[in-house]
Amino acid sequence: MRPEPAIDDLALHGELSANLVGFCRLLRTRGASIGPGEEIDALSALEVIDLKDPQAFRLGLRTTLAKTPEEQARFDEFFDHYWQIWARANELNRPQPNPDRKEATSATLAQPRKAAVTRVREWLKQGDPTEEEREAAGYSPIEVETQRDFKEFNDDESEEIGRLLQAIARALATRLTRRYRPALRPGRLDLRRTLRASLRRGGELVDLAYRRRIRQKPKLVLLCDVSKSMDLYSRFLIQFIYAFQHAYRRIETFVFSTSLHHITPMLKSDDLDKVLDALAAGVPDWSGGTRIGASLSTFLEDHSALVDQQTVLLIVSDGWDTGDIDLLQNSMHALQRRSRCLIWLNPLLGSPEYKPATRGMRAALSYIDLFAPVHNIQSLKDLVRYLSALRGATAVRRPPRRVDPPQPTATEPQDPTVEDWLQRFGVQP
Amino acid sequence: MSTAAAIQEMLAGQDYIADRQTAMSIYLAQTLKRPLLIEGPAGVGKTEVAKVRARALDTERNRLQCYEGLAAHTSLYEWNYQRQILHLKLDEKSQRPLAEREADIFADSFLLKRPLLQAITRPKPPVLLIDELDRADEEFESFLLEVLSEWQITIPEIGTIHATHPPYVVLTSNRTRELSDAVRRRCFYLWIDYPEFSKEVEIVRGKIDGIDAQLAEQICRFMELIRLQKLEKVPGVAETLDWARALVALHQHHLDLEVVSDTLGIVFKDQHDVAQVKQSLAEFLEHLGVHAKLAPEREDADAP
Repeated sequence: MRPEPAIDDLALHGELSANLVGFCRLLRTRGASIGPGEEIDALSALEVIDLKDPQAFRLGLRTTLAKTPEEQARFDEFFDHYWQIWARANELNRPQPNPDRKEATSATLAQPRKAAVTRVREWLKQGDPTEEEREAAGYSPIEVETQRDFKEFNDDESEEIGRLLQAIARALATRLTRRYRPALRPGRLDLRRTLRASLRRGGELVDLAYRRRIRQKPKLVLLCDVSKSMDLYSRFLIQFIYAFQHAYRRIETFVFSTSLHHITPMLKSDDLDKVLDALAAGVPDWSGGTRIGASLSTFLEDHSALVDQQTVLLIVSDGWDTGDIDLLQNSMHALQRRSRCLIWLNPLLGSPEYKPATRGMRAALSYIDLFAPVHNIQSLKDLVRYLSALRGATAVRRPPRRVDPPQPTATEPQDPTVEDWLQRFGVQP
Repeated sequence: MSTAAAIQEMLAGQDYIADRQTAMSIYLAQTLKRPLLIEGPAGVGKTEVAKVRARALDTERNRLQCYEGLAAHTSLYEWNYQRQILHLKLDEKSQRPLAEREADIFADSFLLKRPLLQAITRPKPPVLLIDELDRADEEFESFLLEVLSEWQITIPEIGTIHATHPPYVVLTSNRTRELSDAVRRRCFYLWIDYPEFSKEVEIVRGKIDGIDAQLAEQICRFMELIRLQKLEKVPGVAETLDWARALVALHQHHLDLEVVSDTLGIVFKDQHDVAQVKQSLAEFLEHLGVHAKLAPEREDADAP
């Protein structure tokens, strides 16, 4: 058992806990997901480590508080800074050898904590004053790794993006059909095959056969806007398209600006450079104007066979349409009706000020099943999380919602839908 | 168990070179009785931690290898159905009452214990290794959480079995998918990266008897260099050790162009990687002070 801790240690410990809570808060405002559970863990870790060993202190907190490589990097970044402030404040207020020990202890106990906490506060305040409020909303404008916009993303991140896209495809691919196939592992009994096998053993049920439900992968159709207004994101878009095509086999990819191009065959090569060459040759109007409505209607005319009730449609666009809005509305309606689910990913949605107010976007909104931002790694992670939450029996299926056919003189689409989606993704409207 | 330093020593006693973070994480997980989640690239010795821990604690190791579609019953228990049938068959003629015969076939001997049940029924707490959890489905993850927090398993025919002592749990993940927050919440976390040069030399020299010091250093320098390249499959410590063993078996005392290019297949497990490294092999070796096609400069090194 551990020896009884000295008074000094106890005093140290009391301050430590308060400051540890402060440290957790700091990490949280910087985007870490630290819950009360982690805080308690860290506190109990402090009880069993040697507090006088600074390295043990750091490593102990690290293993209890930072639970992904990214969080460990963040931990390392802020650890020294925070605890140096604390140590300095602590040193200033350390009890001088004092004859009147009792009073001094209580006084010094309160003081250094206060000093340390205020100084840490000050340091915290160097950031945005409303951080704590935003923290509550789960949204942080601070430039942490995952928050960086895809406008400026680099090659190193492509691997992670690939991984996330695989997760998205995986989350989409979980519809169970009512059909069965033989299974090797125990599960549901396959009565027919079991009985048949028993005939070989004179009717004795010795070998059991099993079956499992077929997990059906939906078809994916990706329609990607590559017009001028999306140029900022084009590096990411290419990566996105390419990675998706390689992560998921049952996907057909189209790009459009003023006209529509089927680019699946151009993406087949394993060499990204070759793919880029093929795209440059095959899509002459890359960075052109935007005619979403016309492009979607071409898609419906020429490739409608690709879309059925098993198809998840993914449209990536900012919704700036310079073409015929009625055409857009009609096409969207037809697409939603035909497909299992229509997802619209909009890179602009990541900015808190953004309102889907462009004519095109507003016309499209009421036909979208899921409207989500796609502007940084975090948004992809959120999408994975959201889709995973829908997994299981329901998978990604359209909520039972009546879709009114478009009327030429339709009143404006209702805004609440937008707010809803924004809120779903933790963005304050 | 006393402190992190003691753990470090204990692991060293089992030929496992642990850094302070590893020792601290294991120490805290052990003292506060929490599962330890270990992540990191393939081949850095995540699984080894569990093995070594079991050896050091002188206890059993139960391993549950995860895969897609792993279901609750394959990890808990199954009834040995065929044996039960046979038993009933043999017993057909007996006059014993039905209840008694039924009790017979649900006896312990017909129960196939799978790793999770095994782990909680041992008299001495074992190390329970749940390997590559990221490969299992999310459904299994939530099931596992339940087991990890309750430490009891209910078998309808027998009753509820409580763990006498909760096992020491080690979970590993290669991050092919993100584990759920709930799992992270329950565990302490350890990230193991590729070892630094000096640590890797220590590992190589500790694991392989009679390896030439110069060779060990050259190998590790080479690995350090190679891990900076963009490769399909970055070689881990396991590959380093395999390669070192191979070179020792070939009676090499130092690296040279010929022997390296002949043994690349041990280090790289992907055709593209082999081709890529082969192309700039001379350059890599130059970095290590090995000059292509020239006799080695050092006098103390024997020519092959």
